[in-house]
Amino acid sequence: MDRVVFSSWGGNIVDNRQKTAGYTPVENLEFPLEHNGHRVRAFMSWRGLVVIDAKINVADMAHTYLKEVQKLSCGECSVGYLGIRVMLDTLTRIRDEKGTKEDIALLRWLGNSIKANTKCDFCALALTPVLDSLKYYESEYTKSGAAKGRGAKPVYLTRITAPCIEACPAHQDAPGYIELISNRRYEEALALIRQTNCLPGTMGRACFAFCEENCTRGDIDKPISIRALKRVPADYEVSTALEPEAKAKKAGGDKVAVIGAGPAGLAASYNLALKGYRVTIYDEQPSVGGMAWVGIPAFRLPRNVLGREVDIIKKLGIDFRLNTRVGKDITLEQLLKHGFKAVFIATGAHAGRKLGIEVEGGGVVDGVEFLRDVNMGQKVAVKRRVIIVGGGNVAIDCARTCLRLGFKEVTILYRRSRAEMPAREEEIQAAEAEGVKIHYLAAPVKALTEGGKVNGVECIRMKLGEPDDSGRRRPIPIEGSEFTVGTDMIIPAIGEKPDLSLIEGKSIDTTKWGTIVVDAPTGQTSLPGVFAGGDCVSGPATLVEAIAAGNKAARGIDRYLKSGRVTPPEEQVVEDWLHDVALNHQRDGNIVAKRERQSPKQLPVAKRKRGFAEVEQCLSLEMAAKEAERCLRCYRVMLLAVDGRK
Amino acid sequence: MIKLIIDDKEVEAEEGWTILEAAKQAGIRIPTLCSHESLRPAGACRVCTVEIATNGTKSLTTACDYPVEAGLKVSTTSEKVIEARRLAVELLLAQRPHSSRLQELARKLGVKEPRFVLAEQECILCQLCVRTCRELVDVEAITFVAQGKDRDVAEPTVVHSLDKCIGCDACAYVCPTESITVTDIGDTRTINTPSGKLEFKLKQCQVCGKYWAPEKQLDYIIEKWHLEPELFATCPDCRD
Repeated sequence: MDRVVFSSWGGNIVDNRQKTAGYTPVENLEFPLEHNGHRVRAFMSWRGLVVIDAKINVADMAHTYLKEVQKLSCGECSVGYLGIRVMLDTLTRIRDEKGTKEDIALLRWLGNSIKANTKCDFCALALTPVLDSLKYYESEYTKSGAAKGRGAKPVYLTRITAPCIEACPAHQDAPGYIELISNRRYEEALALIRQTNCLPGTMGRACFAFCEENCTRGDIDKPISIRALKRVPADYEVSTALEPEAKAKKAGGDKVAVIGAGPAGLAASYNLALKGYRVTIYDEQPSVGGMAWVGIPAFRLPRNVLGREVDIIKKLGIDFRLNTRVGKDITLEQLLKHGFKAVFIATGAHAGRKLGIEVEGGGVVDGVEFLRDVNMGQKVAVKRRVIIVGGGNVAIDCARTCLRLGFKEVTILYRRSRAEMPAREEEIQAAEAEGVKIHYLAAPVKALTEGGKVNGVECIRMKLGEPDDSGRRRPIPIEGSEFTVGTDMIIPAIGEKPDLSLIEGKSIDTTKWGTIVVDAPTGQTSLPGVFAGGDCVSGPATLVEAIAAGNKAARGIDRYLKSGRVTPPEEQVVEDWLHDVALNHQRDGNIVAKRERQSPKQLPVAKRKRGFAEVEQCLSLEMAAKEAERCLRCYRVMLLAVDGRK
Repeated sequence: MIKLIIDDKEVEAEEGWTILEAAKQAGIRIPTLCSHESLRPAGACRVCTVEIATNGTKSLTTACDYPVEAGLKVSTTSEKVIEARRLAVELLLAQRPHSSRLQELARKLGVKEPRFVLAEQECILCQLCVRTCRELVDVEAITFVAQGKDRDVAEPTVVHSLDKCIGCDACAYVCPTESITVTDIGDTRTINTPSGKLEFKLKQCQVCGKYWAPEKQLDYIIEKWHLEPELFATCPDCRD
C-alpha cells in the first residue's frame, strides 16, 4: 500500500485509482509516509488530499478534518464562521447516513462560495482538501454504510500550526496572541504568550523574530511586526499595574535542580514550578537572566524589564542560589545526592573564542567579557578608537555600547559581506545610524603595539569563495592585500563556546565542538536524570532557542519523573513527522490589499549617545491594533489518518 | 486623486478611501450591514461584497475595507457578487430569522427562505457595538472573543464588561438584530446583552423628578470633560 492512490497535493492531481500498474508517482510530498512506527493511510491539509490506502473512508476523514477547522474558525466573518458550521452539519448528516444528493451539491457550492469570500485566508484555504474530496471522491459521500465500513477505522492525528509558529523555536502561537491584541484582550494575549514564553517583555524587545522571516504577509507587502506586538501586552501589564496570574500547582513534587539562570534555565524552572516541582536554580553570577542580563545592553533591554519578569518567575516559589558555581562551590554528584531527582544543565556559552591576536598587557578584550563588565556596572577604560571583530549581534552590541561609553571612532571588521552578516538587519542599521563604521571583507592578522600598548591592527582583504557548511560563502584572504588600521583597543566578538568544566569526567557525552549531546525531543543527556539545553547544547544561539530548549526539557523532565520514560509525546511525534511541510505554499489564495506595516518609534539618534536609554519604543495600542489587523491568520490544519503503532 | 473603474464607470477617489466610499461618492449603491460611516470597517458581514480585478486576477472582497487603488476595476453587480451577497445574508438570516433588518436585506437581495438551519443566535457578530463603544463612546466596554488554537472558547461572542460599561445604550442603538436591548424602569436601566444582563442606577431630575440618565454615564462625562456635576442635576428638558 505504499503507492499513493490519489493526490491533489499542491494542486497537482495524481490519480492511480484505476491503474493496476504504471503508477504515477507523487513528487514533493514533503512528509514521509512512515514515521516512528506509524504509516500514513491518508492526509488532509490546505495543500490538498493524499490517499495511500484505498479503503480509507474519505467522507469520514473530511468530517474529522472539518471539525478541527471549525474550532479555529474565529467568528470575525459571517461567511467563514457560519458557512463552515453549515458544512459541518451537512457532513455530519452524510456521515450518519442521512445525507441526500442535494446535500452533496450544497456542500460543493458552499465550499466554493466560502473559499471565494472570507475575511482572512484561514477558512478559505482550509477548505481545499474537502473540496478536492467532493470533486474526486464524490462516491464516498453517497456510498451505503456497509461499503463504507470496509477497512479498520484509522487513528487520526492532528497538527495545527502556522508559518510563524513553525519558524519559532518555541512554537509560540503568534496568530493567537495577535488576534487577541487586535481585539484589545491584552491580559489574555499575555497569558497565551506565557504558555510558551516566560519572558514576554524581554522577548518583545530582544527576540531574533524568526517568525517574521516566515510571515506570509511578507509575500504581499511586509511581514507583521510580531516581535513589537508581543511587547504590547507585556508593557500593558506594567503600565496598568496588573498582577500576572501565574499560579504554581501545590508544590510537593520532586526536587529538580537547574544549573544556570539564563533564558533556558528560567524557562525550564518556570514550567516545572507551574507543574508543582520544587525547583532550585544555581548561577555563578550575582544576577539572574544569564546572557540576557550580562550580554544584552540596556538600550535594547532595560534591566527593570528583565528584572520584573524574573521576579514573576521567582514568585512561583523557585529557590535561587546565586553566586554559586556548580562544579566548584557544589558538585553535580552532591546535587544528585541531595535529593534532586533530575538536573537541568543550562550553563550557556560564555567563553569567547580566541582570535589568536591577543597581546600581553591588554588592549585586546573579548566581546562577551566586555559586555559583561559594562552590563554588571564595572568600570571599563574608554579609549578614542576601537576595532570590533565579528558580524554577529555581540559585535554590534559591543559597537553600540562603545559609542555610548564615549569611544569616538568605532569600527567593525567583518570577513564576509553584509549579506552574510548574522546580526539582525535592524540592529545593523541602528548601529550604522549611530555612527558605527563597518568594514566588510576584512580580517585582522595581528595586533600592532607600541610601548606595550595596542595602537593598530594589521588586516587583510578577503573575497568570497564557495559556500561552507553553514551555507554562507567562505571568506578567502587575498594575498598581498594587507593593510593597517589604527586603533587603541581591539574587541574580538567572533563567537562563544560553552564552559563544560562542570561535567568533566562525568559520563555525559559531548561533541567535538564542546557542546553537550542530548536527545533532541526531550533534552535528556547520556546520563539518566540529567538534562541539558540552551547554548551549552546548541552552541551560541538566540534567546528564543534557549527558551524553547527550557520548555522542552521541562516536558522531558516531567515525563521522566512521572513515568520513568523519556520517549517524546505523540504531539512531538506528529510535529517531527510534518516538520518539512512548506507552510507558506498556498493554492488559490484571494487578493489581499496592501497595508502599511506599523513599526515602533525609535529614540532619535542624537539622544542615544547620551546614555543607555532604550532605543525602541512600544507600539501604541492604536498602532498595535492596526498592525494586528494585518495578520492573515495562516493557521494550517493537518490531519493524518494512520494505522495504530506496530 | 486616484482613478478607478466601478461598474465600467471611471470614478475618482481620494487616497485612503475604501471602495465603498468611492462608490457612494459616485452614486453607486452597495448594500451594507456591519458598516457605519463613523466607524472603522470590520469586513465582518460580507454583505457589501464586490468583485475586483487587478493584473488580470479577479477576486471577491468587501467594499467597506478594501482601499482604492489606481486602475482597480470593481464590479458591484456581477453574478458572482450577487450570489456572494445572497449567501452572506442567507447565512445570517439562518442564524437570526426574526431580525427585521435581515429580513429586509434578504427581500432586497432576493433571498427567500434560508436553505440551512442554524441554532438561533441573537448576535450575528457584526461588531458594530464593539466598534461604537471603542471608537465613539471611547469606553471599550465591549470586546470580541474569537475562537482559536488551544483556546477554550465554545463559540465566538461579544462580551460586555460591567466594570467598564457606563450604561449609555449606544450599543443597543447600533445593534441591527436587537441582540442588545435597553429598558428603563423606575430608577433602573437594564441592558440585556449576549453575555448577560447589566443594571445601572438612573439619575433623578431635581426639577421634574424624571429618571433621565445613568449616573455612571454622567460621572464619566463629568470626569472626561471636566464639567461641574451641578450641570447634570436637572434633565435637559428642565434646563433653561
